Amino acid sequence: MQLSRPPIRPSRIALHAVMILLVVWSVTPFIWTAQTSIKFTRDVASKTPVLWGYETTANAYRNFWLDSDDLNMWGVLAFILVVAAVATALGLIGRRARHGWPWFLGATAVICVALWRFPRIWEANDEYDFLVNSVVVTILTMVISLSIGLLAGYGLARYTGISGAVILIVALGFRALPRTAFVLPYFFGAKEIDDWLTSTGVGSWNFPLIDFPGIDTLQILDTRLAIVLALVAVNQPFTIWMLRSFFIEVPKEMEEAAMMDGATRLQAFRKVIIPIMWPAIIATGLFTMLLAYNEYLFVRVLAPTEWTLPVAIVSLTGGESSRTITEAAAASVSITLPIVIVIILFQKHLVRGLGAGAVKG
Amino acid sequence: MNRRTFWWFTIPSVIVMLALMVFPLITTVWLGFQKLLLRDLNNPEWVGWDNYRDVLSDPEFWAALRFTLVFVVVTVPVSMVFGLAVALLLDRVGRGRAIYMAALLLPFIVTPVVGTLIYEDLFERGGLISWLWEVFTDDAFAVSASNVKVLIVVQYIWYVMPFAMITFFAGLQTLPEERVEAAALDGAGFWRNLWHVTLPHLRLLVVFVGLISVMDAYRVYDSVFVWTGNRFTEAHTLAVYNVRIATAFDIGRLGKGNAIAVITVIGIFVVLIPFLWRSYRDQIAERT
Repeated sequence: MQLSRPPIRPSRIALHAVMILLVVWSVTPFIWTAQTSIKFTRDVASKTPVLWGYETTANAYRNFWLDSDDLNMWGVLAFILVVAAVATALGLIGRRARHGWPWFLGATAVICVALWRFPRIWEANDEYDFLVNSVVVTILTMVISLSIGLLAGYGLARYTGISGAVILIVALGFRALPRTAFVLPYFFGAKEIDDWLTSTGVGSWNFPLIDFPGIDTLQILDTRLAIVLALVAVNQPFTIWMLRSFFIEVPKEMEEAAMMDGATRLQAFRKVIIPIMWPAIIATGLFTMLLAYNEYLFVRVLAPTEWTLPVAIVSLTGGESSRTITEAAAASVSITLPIVIVIILFQKHLVRGLGAGAVKG
Repeated sequence: MNRRTFWWFTIPSVIVMLALMVFPLITTVWLGFQKLLLRDLNNPEWVGWDNYRDVLSDPEFWAALRFTLVFVVVTVPVSMVFGLAVALLLDRVGRGRAIYMAALLLPFIVTPVVGTLIYEDLFERGGLISWLWEVFTDDAFAVSASNVKVLIVVQYIWYVMPFAMITFFAGLQTLPEERVEAAALDGAGFWRNLWHVTLPHLRLLVVFVGLISVMDAYRVYDSVFVWTGNRFTEAHTLAVYNVRIATAFDIGRLGKGNAIAVITVIGIFVVLIPFLWRSYRDQIAERT
């Protein structure tokens, strides 16, 4: 049977041609860098670019991440793929299951264990610590930012008094402020607190619970905590505006019905509102994730040694460093791949989030 | 919701914003009046308006301000028009839309410093563009003080265009098809349709994207820092200049840096106050 397909018209071809041109404009740097990262130095250094037919190697990745010179990178790749496959499988089951959270928790646990075991299986470089810092900072920022942002966003969506409007407008003003207006006082303040901690002797107390590896004194500056606090703060205005615009969409009757049945406001919020808010939480979470994972300035100023990946890459690939151009490319690819995967998985939420947040905001 | 419950819900966020935004801002203003060096943080000394005088008589400040303004004036309209055009095209694509969208979003989601580094690689020795340049002009291409500003602007448009694109695209999804068809039946061509149907529908979004773009372009740091570093200080924007003055190794002047930050903040608020005031009126109107 002949399917009736729309005939291909010249305008359609033109449309796709333009789209492909736009895609070329967007992704050329990425393809170029991805190629550089798997080339040998002699091909990279050649005067005429070697675009195809070159010999490939994973040397750059090994040199950047690992401490050994002769190690089969296929093993590392297999390890990463197995972890990714297991985590994805658990995630997919979780999406189908009635109660998804144990499965999602399982997927998270698998990734955490993999991150923790990796440097014990292979000898990882210092760069691996920066990767761990990036992951810790990103997750903590998302969790703290969303928990307080959800409460505030809900309150601001439901309260009709004047103070709600004032908070929203002040927050909008904060959204406009440059990082530089915050990073200098943060630095100064953290320094003052650290000095006070040292002078009173509190700084050298040993708290087993916050005894992060690598930190033997209690301090603010140069810790992941400082970065997380700074990021949560500058992200709050955006978070509450976006979540509020989602909460406004939810009809009041939803929680009012629950409260008629004797639930408190907080119970209604937790049991009735939150379960239908997951798309909003994911969308806001994605933007928070990008913000934390991509942050450069705060980390550079507040954490002189506890780097995250963006600072590590800029510092290690800058002029004086001995890192080669292929290693810089390998580092760029490694830092980009995780976000690309996450964004492809959650593309719909991202688009919807911008649409909803913007139209109503 | 009554007042008490509202405060219980909102207080954690408000405390965070008071402690980590309002209080630091007050500290910034206070530090702007101090003589304070990075290598000697324990002895701030009140010097009144000296830092401000110092900043306003610094030719580097005026150069940074001028480039920042040019940067905003060029990148914001170009990226918005470009983004709207791509969004309109994307809206017409049937099959393969998700793939196009993912590819076009890439520059916007990648870590800005990394995006800049890999974009810069195309223009370095042995890079794709510098090679093409050499093939077509017979001249060697090098990033220099004379072209770095153009490169910064082009790369920023590459980075930020997807934001306008994706927001306008989301807005186009809510445009009722009947309205476009009705206009087409009335004989409206593409441009009249765009002007009388599509743009009015996207009006709020245009304001939103414009505001966010102005804010972000005005305070741009990451990409300009990677392009210029300490090589091309004349192409520094306000934020980069500010951080350089405040944290330069051994000669960082924190007091002067804070004075620059205060001036920067005043600069953005001059533009923003009318919009904040209007949003405030809207909020109040919404409530009654």
